[in-house]
Amino acid sequence: MLVEMKNIVKSFGSNHVLKDVSFSIKGGEICALLGENGAGKSTLMNILGGVFKQDSGSISADEELIEFNVPADSQEAGIAFIHQELNLINDLPIYENMFLGREKKNKRGSLDLEGMLKETESMFEKMNVDLDPRRMVSDLDASYKQIVEICRAMMTNASIIIMDEPTSSLTEQETARVFEMMKKLKDENVGIIFISHKLNEVLEVCDRYVVLRDGSLVAEGRVNEVITNELARFIVGYDVRTESLRREKNLGEEILRVDGFSSNSIFRDINFSIRAGEIVGVTGLLGDGRSELFQAIFGAVPVTSGKIYLNGDLVSIKSTTQAIEAGIAYLPRNRKENGIIKDLNIIENASIVTWSRFSKRGVINARKHEAVYEEQRKSLRIKMDKHTDRITSLSGGNQQKVVLAKWLAANPKLLILDNPTQGVDVGAKEDIYDIIMKLADEDIAIVVLSSEAQEIIRLCDRAIVMYHGVIQGEIAGENMNEHNIMNLATGGVWTKEGREIH
Amino acid sequence: MKFLTWFKTKWKNEPLFSTAIALIIMIILQTFVLGFDYDSFGSWFESWTNNWINILRNNAGIGIIALGMTFVIMTGGIDLAVGSTLVATGAFTMILLDTGTKGILSMLGMTGIPAFILTIIIVLILGYLLGALIGVTITKGNVPPFIVTLGAMLIFRSVTQHFMQGYNPKVPMEFLEIASFRFGNYMIMPIIYWAVIAYILYYVSKRTTFGRQIIAVGSNERAAKLSGVNVNKVKLRVYALMGVLVSIAAIIQVSRVGSMDFSNAGRGMEMDAIAAAVVGGTSMAGGRGFVLGTVYGMLIIAVMNNLLNLFGVPPFLREAFKGLIVIGAVLLQRKEKTS
Repeated sequence: MLVEMKNIVKSFGSNHVLKDVSFSIKGGEICALLGENGAGKSTLMNILGGVFKQDSGSISADEELIEFNVPADSQEAGIAFIHQELNLINDLPIYENMFLGREKKNKRGSLDLEGMLKETESMFEKMNVDLDPRRMVSDLDASYKQIVEICRAMMTNASIIIMDEPTSSLTEQETARVFEMMKKLKDENVGIIFISHKLNEVLEVCDRYVVLRDGSLVAEGRVNEVITNELARFIVGYDVRTESLRREKNLGEEILRVDGFSSNSIFRDINFSIRAGEIVGVTGLLGDGRSELFQAIFGAVPVTSGKIYLNGDLVSIKSTTQAIEAGIAYLPRNRKENGIIKDLNIIENASIVTWSRFSKRGVINARKHEAVYEEQRKSLRIKMDKHTDRITSLSGGNQQKVVLAKWLAANPKLLILDNPTQGVDVGAKEDIYDIIMKLADEDIAIVVLSSEAQEIIRLCDRAIVMYHGVIQGEIAGENMNEHNIMNLATGGVWTKEGREIH
Repeated sequence: MKFLTWFKTKWKNEPLFSTAIALIIMIILQTFVLGFDYDSFGSWFESWTNNWINILRNNAGIGIIALGMTFVIMTGGIDLAVGSTLVATGAFTMILLDTGTKGILSMLGMTGIPAFILTIIIVLILGYLLGALIGVTITKGNVPPFIVTLGAMLIFRSVTQHFMQGYNPKVPMEFLEIASFRFGNYMIMPIIYWAVIAYILYYVSKRTTFGRQIIAVGSNERAAKLSGVNVNKVKLRVYALMGVLVSIAAIIQVSRVGSMDFSNAGRGMEMDAIAAAVVGGTSMAGGRGFVLGTVYGMLIIAVMNNLLNLFGVPPFLREAFKGLIVIGAVLLQRKEKTS
């Protein structure tokens, strides 16, 4: 099937989101749709998915004009849209999820569970998915949920599948699993539109790319004819750095030392230390326990044994409140679930940590607060309208900066950043890197948790790699490269002599 | 035209605007229904004022409880036990004050104003403790608020009824002045209490860390915890505050009539309080809520009851109107959000 969108124009009020964009996709190819947040990718795909209607322009399938008024029209035409927030019901088994909204019924009108199970099994067999359809969706990791969604799309005989940032919350291993699935779909002559911010993934899995900027198509071509740098330039409109940001510096006193830290089976016997001004990367695959480890240091997860020394003093941290008082800050992963509070406005989100510091007998001193925030807004370059706007009105990158602002207001000595650039576009990502480098210059000890090896390599002075809850190895300088990180993350051992022992 | 656009943007952006408009319309309606069939403006005004004082006074107790309920709902919780807590604290007030042989304070030889002050302090503390007990069970026991307060609702009333069986304490007449003191012809003490508490809680919700923390906890508990908010402490304090407010309502009720029907007083009160909060724009999902909105909500329900009374609608049908108002208010707010 060949789907063509011609001269699509769409505005919301005075906001011209799409200005005459033409786009096409055919069966058997994977096309990357790239662009910063707000470039018009989602709008274009929502038009193709029947969620919005274009102001002008046409859509055709196999040269035949089609019109979408509701999402069901688009599905009817063989287009499946897998949204970033997956539409799966956690408390139902996989096979019932496969038939959500189009359940099979038997003669008496009750659910034909056996039939649904059987069909799901045969679909899994066809797609080579090794998964028991009777399992609950809540037991699946993010990649298998993605795969279940893909299989569901296949069951509706979709010939075009739109995938909106399918890998944004996946580890590298999970991502590989989804890619394998995508390649299989390609062989089945299905066309895939792949929306992603991760350019190396685009190069790995896609055939073609299309770049939108400010509502116009600015570049397209074959993936094997470009490199990431070029793509990044198309996306933001100027050259993007890819060089390492690491530099020589004099490290200060030891800020944090962790000694024999363990928590049941999540992580075991963790020992490391960080000095002022140092940036330490911590990475690993899913189930490495790094998030839990640092949440435990921050007092949000209980530990079974171990000691923490801050500035050389033994401290006991049992709650997040204590951790903040001790000068620890933790920027959590999954901003939407853990970072922002949508019923509070921008400035309130940026100040929640320091409310108690800026208040007298529980009454908040609003003026003091605004002054502090205003200073931060300038130094973090947060783009926004009014202090009292909704936090959700900001782009992902600016939301993340607001979350960062709330921690910086507390003047931490130790800053833990868990996936700081998750769901953030290329430009904002570099902004955040700059901020991190600047903070390190101000003698803050910084820990960056990330699943992106490139991020660690560009940013950090040294990297700690975890595997199943233990520190598998620590690498720095020349040795800090993707190969060594992956090796350690999958349980290999790295030695100075360069020998690899598995 | 200018007015229309102003109105439209207000309607869309100000969460309490539609509620306030609804209230104003009901007040105008009520004014017309009361009629203008009077000799002079003075006598009309007096009758109008009296009607209003009655409405406000009769709803002061539940209005105070609805304010606490707003905070509870904003944290994502609910308190079904308010009616039973009212009975428990009311009974305790009466036991303390009883002029008969069993009265605790009179046995200790305390009477008059010192006894009243002591009673009030003890009852407020009791309310605090009962609320805190609920709060501790919810936070430390990790039991849903609905379950805990459902249980507390049954326990508090049943225990109170058991101990008060066949015992009819007599409250000293002077104590009744707390609610029944007259300014000229007007008995407005309960209204004053309500207004003062509403103002304090409005201030708390807008200007204090506690007020902001309530929103944070109700909107995104995980993010609040990871931002160093002591989630359990916030919840505990909200339920304890609820207990204190209920005990204030209990003191007002006891001092209005000098007695309390322990098996029926406060029944259905939790639903009225929730209704007032919801009409005032508070979201049952937590995070969103307005102290002022709850005052409006309470007034809308109260004025509507008054109107139904004036129209002569049969008593059994009146609850249906209350139900319609609650659902209608939420539908109205839903429209604002999506448009």
